[in-house]
Amino acid sequence: MGEVIVITSGKGGVGKTTTVANLGTGLALMGNKVVLVDTDIGLRNLDVVLGLENRIVYDIVDVVTGNCRLKQALIKDKRFETLFLLPAAQTKDKTAVSEEQMKELTNSLKEEFDYIIIDCPAGIEQGFKNAIAGAERAVVVTTPEVAAVRDADRIVGLLEANGLSEPKLIINRLRPLMVKKGDMMDIDDMIEILAIDLLGVIPEDEMIVVSTNRGEPVVLEKQARAGEAYRNIAKRITGEAVPLMNLDAEGFVSRLRRLFGVG
Amino acid sequence: MKNTSSAVYGFEDEGKVGEKHSRVNGGHGNVSKKKSTVVDGANTILLQRTLRSGQAVRYPGNVVIMGDVNPGAEVMAGGNIIVMGSLRGVAHAGAEGNEKAVVAAFRLKPTQLRIASHFTRAPDGDYPEPEYPEIAKIIDGMVIIENYHQGSNKAFNLEQSFR
Repeated sequence: MGEVIVITSGKGGVGKTTTVANLGTGLALMGNKVVLVDTDIGLRNLDVVLGLENRIVYDIVDVVTGNCRLKQALIKDKRFETLFLLPAAQTKDKTAVSEEQMKELTNSLKEEFDYIIIDCPAGIEQGFKNAIAGAERAVVVTTPEVAAVRDADRIVGLLEANGLSEPKLIINRLRPLMVKKGDMMDIDDMIEILAIDLLGVIPEDEMIVVSTNRGEPVVLEKQARAGEAYRNIAKRITGEAVPLMNLDAEGFVSRLRRLFGVG
Repeated sequence: MKNTSSAVYGFEDEGKVGEKHSRVNGGHGNVSKKKSTVVDGANTILLQRTLRSGQAVRYPGNVVIMGDVNPGAEVMAGGNIIVMGSLRGVAHAGAEGNEKAVVAAFRLKPTQLRIASHFTRAPDGDYPEPEYPEIAKIIDGMVIIENYHQGSNKAFNLEQSFR
């Protein structure tokens, strides 16, 4: 039986879709059978970020309304045999699916897959309610900004009210230099407010822009720091204890040391 | 507008997008040996606007669009689809099974191109942007894309008729 994990945030644009794509790919890299479900109906992006948009024939609305079988709608990833995508519909909106239908859907998916990762839309309305309907674990993504943390706090409250206690936190787009200067919230400040366990921290990385535009998740890029962070998070999801990356900007000597495996 | 989705998705296979459409440079269309009959004037609608992401047009006849079709938009026609602009979304011509339907555009760059029950997408990786108007049609059971020669009646498969 698989685990259903919802990636949510409240705030838009903090990196939920990117996280779903990279976590999913990271878990598939490790050999797990993974399905990614896009519930952002009307504003679908997960397919673009995975580079699978021109393979879409059926979508989640077709599945829940019985227009097609679940298997027909699942799209196998370009690169990994064990990674699948269930895309959202673009020509409908979030009222096209109900919470009951989502629960049925996630129950069917649990029988086939090790991990079911749900990409939640921004907001707290029907889209959010649908996304958390079948979920067992929740991950909250936020950026180190006051507005984002406010919204994340609201979301944590709603998750707890809906029985998803102990969500985990991912801090995205951290800039260590700004944190040092005092211009950006640091990890401890955020955990103090949100009071949930930290799952991982992802540094700001230009490679993300390149990778999402190309449809090639950054987790596949060995040189990218964001990629390494996502790979670590994937390992932690499976229960492995991985220490947090050293996020300080690397100097030449420390980079040399790292290359030679010393220190 | 009639909703043709049930007629469209009625084929045996898993609905996977299999074929990749191939471009033939300067090719010529299938010339019918029979006497050319009048091409029926099936009902045609004209849209004088761009279709944005999430918008869909479904019509049992032909569809002509003076504007673009953006990625995320869908055009489904029982007949032909002509886009006087950039086609970047999904176009499905011959949606009710007519394999003689064609899709033509000033810039043919669809995310997915479908004619009758043939679903195709561009090959992976970068390939050159089309510089001239092109037309997609089924020849010998495969979706072929050719340059669209102005004024050529070879562009269209003759004797198509749908009411």
